[in-house]
Amino acid sequence: MMAKLMIVDDSNIIRTHIARLMVDTRLPPIEVVGLASDGNKAVEMARTTRPDYITMDLTMPNMDGEACIEQIAGMLPDAKILVVSALSDKATALRAVTKGAHGFLQKPFTDESMVLSLLELMS
Amino acid sequence: MSTYRALTPEDIQVFPEAISTFFERMTRQPARVRTAYMLDQPEAILWNDFNGVIEVSGGFRGSVCFSAPRGLLVEVLSAMGEHEQTDDNFLDVAGEIANILSGRARRHFGESLDIATPVSCQRGDREIPKLAQGPAYAIPHTWGDYEANLVVHLDLIQRR
Repeated sequence: MMAKLMIVDDSNIIRTHIARLMVDTRLPPIEVVGLASDGNKAVEMARTTRPDYITMDLTMPNMDGEACIEQIAGMLPDAKILVVSALSDKATALRAVTKGAHGFLQKPFTDESMVLSLLELMS
Repeated sequence: MSTYRALTPEDIQVFPEAISTFFERMTRQPARVRTAYMLDQPEAILWNDFNGVIEVSGGFRGSVCFSAPRGLLVEVLSAMGEHEQTDDNFLDVAGEIANILSGRARRHFGESLDIATPVSCQRGDREIPKLAQGPAYAIPHTWGDYEANLVVHLDLIQRR
């Protein structure tokens, strides 16, 4: 069965950029099941689409990434969450992992680093 | 007792490095950072078509603004594979760069740097309050045939 990915970022260009990278042949077939621009929309979308993998920005309006990770990790404990954020200090990364994130990729990212981070998340 | 001090060159360097990293990683074409200079009128900092701004407080005061012409952002979006060339997407790029400036500033200056959510705006849509008292530095960047500007106007608290 094809893996399902949800992309959460308040930047439209980052959401679509990540979605375009999913055709990379090194990745297993992935269906992008949702693009969410804030934490509230992401929680609702996760409830209906039940993604296996999620890329998650931290700085977003309405509900921020940390609160969103906590809610989705509680609702979908098997979903793996990759934080993709410009906030790169250790304290932020540690808080995200404590709330349920599985990996951290710093913005700005290269196409290569995104693909490798997702491969690591899926391994 | 505390006073404010102006930025050191090491403090200022954090910001053009963040801009360079953005261009290099997102477009595969690095930006060239040119010589910084002190601005006579720090109020007039949003001089290009699209701008990304962070305002800081919490033991620091001031703002950091990235300012770019439309043509540069058209090329950035193309390099990223984005064909939808709209003002919303140009603002999105400016905002994303401000977001990266914010993250780098937090890492360099520490968590006591209280940064408001980065905002993006078109020229004339917003005024940046003059929060810092020290000098403002303009740091021009060349990317392709275009020039963008970074203006760093920050004071740092100095405890005694």
